[in-house]
Amino acid sequence: MSGVLEEQGIRGGRRPGVPWKQVPPVAWVVLTMIAFFGLTAPGFFTAGNFLNITLQGSVLLIMAVAATLVILTEGIDLSSGSVLTLAGVTTVLALQAGLSVPAAVVVGVLTGMACGMVTGLLVTAGKLPPFIATLGMMGMAAGLALVLTRQGAIYADLPAFIFLGGGSLAIIPMPTIIATLVFALAWVVLHQTDFGRYIISIGGNEAGARLSGVNTALWKFLTYVVAGALAALGGVIMAARLRAADPIVGSGWEFDAIAATILGGTSFEKGNGTLGGTVLGVLLIAVLRNGLNVIGVGAMWQPALIGLVIIAAIVFDVLLKQRGVIR
Amino acid sequence: MAEQPLLQARKITKTFPGILALDTVDFDLLPGEVHVLLGENGAGKSTLMKILAGAYQPDAGTIALNGREMRIANPRQAQRLGLGIIYQEFNLAPYLTVAQNIFLGRFPHRWGLLDQARMHAESRKLLDGLNMDIDTRAKVVSLGVAHQQMVEVAKALSVQSKILIMDEPTAALTDREIEQLFATIRRLKAQGIGIIYISHRLQEVHQIGDRVTVLRDGKFIGIRQVSRVTVDELIAMMVGRTITQMFPRDYQPQGAEALRVEGLTSGSRLRGVSLRVHAGEIVGLAGLVGAGRTELARAVFGADPYEAGQVYVFGQQVRAASPDRMVKLGMGLLPEDRKAHGLAMILSLSENVVLSSLQRLFPRRWVDVGREREVVARYIADLRIATPSPRRLVQFLSGGTQQKVVLAKWLCTHSKIFIFDEPTRGIDVGAKAEIHGFMNELVKQGAAVLMISSDLPEILGMSDRIYVMRQGQIVAEVPREKATQERIVSYAMGHEVGR
Repeated sequence: MSGVLEEQGIRGGRRPGVPWKQVPPVAWVVLTMIAFFGLTAPGFFTAGNFLNITLQGSVLLIMAVAATLVILTEGIDLSSGSVLTLAGVTTVLALQAGLSVPAAVVVGVLTGMACGMVTGLLVTAGKLPPFIATLGMMGMAAGLALVLTRQGAIYADLPAFIFLGGGSLAIIPMPTIIATLVFALAWVVLHQTDFGRYIISIGGNEAGARLSGVNTALWKFLTYVVAGALAALGGVIMAARLRAADPIVGSGWEFDAIAATILGGTSFEKGNGTLGGTVLGVLLIAVLRNGLNVIGVGAMWQPALIGLVIIAAIVFDVLLKQRGVIR
Repeated sequence: MAEQPLLQARKITKTFPGILALDTVDFDLLPGEVHVLLGENGAGKSTLMKILAGAYQPDAGTIALNGREMRIANPRQAQRLGLGIIYQEFNLAPYLTVAQNIFLGRFPHRWGLLDQARMHAESRKLLDGLNMDIDTRAKVVSLGVAHQQMVEVAKALSVQSKILIMDEPTAALTDREIEQLFATIRRLKAQGIGIIYISHRLQEVHQIGDRVTVLRDGKFIGIRQVSRVTVDELIAMMVGRTITQMFPRDYQPQGAEALRVEGLTSGSRLRGVSLRVHAGEIVGLAGLVGAGRTELARAVFGADPYEAGQVYVFGQQVRAASPDRMVKLGMGLLPEDRKAHGLAMILSLSENVVLSSLQRLFPRRWVDVGREREVVARYIADLRIATPSPRRLVQFLSGGTQQKVVLAKWLCTHSKIFIFDEPTRGIDVGAKAEIHGFMNELVKQGAAVLMISSDLPEILGMSDRIYVMRQGQIVAEVPREKATQERIVSYAMGHEVGR
């Protein structure tokens, strides 16, 4: 009994015991899929295709990092897809208005932060459940994007801007680099700063954190602001890749981001989860989407198949946990 | 005397891990009597009630109903056997009507549909029998507390209960409503129904009771005819706890005022509470559960708002109080429920210890793990925290160790004022003595301590001064020299003594 507790009870350390038991099951699913696509699709196992997967997964990773931070505080952000759209729109509008590329990117990110501030205030000062507050923001941001674009795509073709989405350093695509930096930064914030500690303590026990003197309202508010900024960054990259801001480009992204987070083992309760797991969740979705393309499954069928695999992966995870095969 | 008891419980024993909650307790109930069950917090009243209700199974002992031995396997069976229970927290569905609540789970049907007419007619009859003019079509949420309670009574009677168990039925009632309740109880008695009446209010024993059984620390102390016992005798039976434990106290001269509360008011939970705590003293806050002590602690700490009153910390009035502000002013709260309010269970021991001090330790927001380890190592050594690793999750630590972690957290913020809410509840004897030792150390070093405790020996053994709370008010301030268990309990239960 005490042996088991000792194995479970250490945080941040290497856990003793059977090594394969510590691999999250989603990793096995990812490896299985890579093997499957590798065997069935000739073009899959190439360096070029792997870079392609990271490119395709980059925006999702940024969105999923944001979703993970919010879910760690026992919140949820349904607005991230709409904020992505809106930030893309304001960025392109800023470029069209003659702003420089860095200034336009700042406009885009500020758009997202403003959205995050509104949801953050609704959740903290307004005491709305995050589900409701972000559902409202989801509608507002999406609607505003439609108004600003007059319901059609708006275009931007400055080379310096397009470079953010289509360019590469050495052979690494820019979105991959940006997403990697975002992940690294988020990891450092979560593990090395007081902000990160507060996020985890709020999710673990908000009442307890507050009675420990943690200004829970402030840190929750900031989490939504950060989430808004990250969604906006996703929108900027998306616009740069498409060379345009489309008023419905982000719809559904919030669910992919949340799905990747859940696949990565982050729980909706008790602030339990890791950013590393989220990367695996993103990989699963990205590999699946890429692999389905490579083996020639039509775009029409992809969402249904991806949904199926997500459910299967989570059921797999739950079953293993119930049987005590993994923790 | 030949009368067959409705209920006879013999030698009921129930243990929970580490606690002997009931120790060979006897209890019986005659038809048409009110049998009061009396005892301090933790005496075993609730456990006994839950066993009769089928919610717990006794480890040993027998229960006989109408002379036949029975096993009450679950609450549903208790209901079938004619035991009706009215808990302090009502079990009513607020948005259903009175009649629907009375028949919840046993709706009468007619041709597959609810038989509304019958439901209302029978509810009407039950309520009329209680002499209660309540609209059976009203939603329960629209009723006052007293009427809701009557719905509970009607619900219990609707299954032909012969035995009613009432847990502190007057706790939320006004004097007038209490009179109504007593009238109802007398009517039920006349119908031969036996009532087990659990109460903290001593004066009610004589107002409504026929016999009274006193429990203390899970033991049967005695049974008396109410007509032949005085309140003072009852108090003596309740508190006769022997103080076996030694309390480590070095008394200090009273220092400067650290905390002053004036006229703190919040609804009916806190009604003009004033108190002072000085550096170098432990002030005990005694009272019954529900007297408002925890509410007071939370309000003072800024966790809950209050309508009127002021809090002064080291002579400075606190404005816009919030826990993070109070922590900055040097206050720490060790809450009653460590798991829910004191600790972040998913964080490690180390992370919990520094959680409230991150800003002080790491003003640049960067958590230096090496420094964190050093700081925490010191508290682990000072407080003799038993853990295999500072990175151990607190959820895997024992209760006593968890309490030490909470204490370490407030030492780490350099708190000067500590509010301990039930500091040693659920903690083993060894760790208890250690916690008491640390409290003594704290005040020796000039800290001010406000200690809420329902454990009378702890209150008497540890405090320099004692405030007693009852129904949201401070009803007495007792200096250490004059404090006795009888005195504290008398004040806590509202029995004024001239001593």
